[in-house]
Amino acid sequence: MIDYDLLTTKNLDSALDYLDKLENVKLIAGGTDLLVDIRKNVSRLHKIDYVLDISNIEELKGIQKKEKYIEIGSMVTHNMLTKNIVINENFPILVDAAKSIGSYLIRNRGTVGGNINNAATCADLVPALMALRAEVVLKSLSNQRIVPIENFVIGPNRTDLKKNEMVTYVRIPLLGGNYYGCFQKIGRRNALSISRLTMVLLTKIEEETFRDVRLVSGAVTPYPQMFTKTIEVIEGQPIKKINIEDIGNAVSEEMVSITGERWSTPYKRPVIASLIKRALVNVIKEASDNE
Amino acid sequence: MNKTKVSFKVNGKEITLEVSSKERLIDTLRERLDLMGTKEGCGIGECGACTVIMNGKAVQSCMILTGQVDGSQILTIEGLEKEDNKLDVLQEAFIEAGAVQCGFCTPGMIMSSKALLQENPKPTDEEIKEALSGNICRCTGYKQIIEGVRLASEKMK
Repeated sequence: MIDYDLLTTKNLDSALDYLDKLENVKLIAGGTDLLVDIRKNVSRLHKIDYVLDISNIEELKGIQKKEKYIEIGSMVTHNMLTKNIVINENFPILVDAAKSIGSYLIRNRGTVGGNINNAATCADLVPALMALRAEVVLKSLSNQRIVPIENFVIGPNRTDLKKNEMVTYVRIPLLGGNYYGCFQKIGRRNALSISRLTMVLLTKIEEETFRDVRLVSGAVTPYPQMFTKTIEVIEGQPIKKINIEDIGNAVSEEMVSITGERWSTPYKRPVIASLIKRALVNVIKEASDNE
Repeated sequence: MNKTKVSFKVNGKEITLEVSSKERLIDTLRERLDLMGTKEGCGIGECGACTVIMNGKAVQSCMILTGQVDGSQILTIEGLEKEDNKLDVLQEAFIEAGAVQCGFCTPGMIMSSKALLQENPKPTDEEIKEALSGNICRCTGYKQIIEGVRLASEKMK
């Protein structure tokens, strides 16, 4: 039985104060995951005593360009991201990732902070944020720490969040020129689709060569992970000489090395290979068009 | 379970209520404010039958706790009725385009479309489809619904 007191606040400090003083508090923002879980009477919610609403904290709803990074408030919704000019100009893969979430109605409520904090296997923003080397700003009443998102999401539905902390902002370092990215997702349909496989490729292409390659999986691995072995294969290769079949095989092998052979592996092997091949073709084309 | 005091506007009318911690906006609208136009379909944010407009954005009222809406402005299908009892341009257009069959999804479809046209009075078909991506219809078919939104957009000229 899920039974809780609802706490509401429009002020960050008072939210942090609640987190500091109370035990067994679950945060609610857009509610697009939590209300489903409450309805399903999910057992891990049986131990909560409080639900703390943070959806109306205005100071966490901004997107600001700073000197070296762009700061996104945790209460920014997916639709606020997709419609924001600064995000569109700087991080198109994040826009593509946000657009693939749920439906338009879900994107009006679901938040960046919620997507990161839930750390679902299929979370769509997380692989894109990992590829962008985003950092998560965590605040408690007396402290603030900044953690790379790769170290924050540490397992399926598991994060490094302490019980008195809250995700307040995400910081994404500005990329500079010549970066190209591609977000690839396979779901069962276009709208309202839970990701089955996601691949995010982000790379610099300079003097027709792949540099600073970042390749992150989503949904296909227990939680989004950097595909370091495949990255090594791509890094430093000239775009004209790259063998995309080899890269496809490398990605499939790396996936199996993480997940082991499963009943779905015969399907996922060629599909994940196709995703990286498509992503490579896209970024090479974009770079060539840009010359 | 505690009670939370909330004040918000529904269809322009100021409402103050004490709500239980599990009460969802759809429960409040239907069971306490007697606004039965908003329907509950799936209850898990997938069908869009419960769509209302909150602070200008189309949202699913089954995905919001009423305790969260303090200070908000809510518009439901009932709020589209004009003083002279005339229908909203979208409602007229849906009838004209044959976009209503059983009618269960219609209030949600209309509210998603209303939010779209308020923000973007001249949407493309792709933009209409995107705005309606969270609203499921099981009988009319989407073609007539999209046609209805397009027609309303033209009538608004």
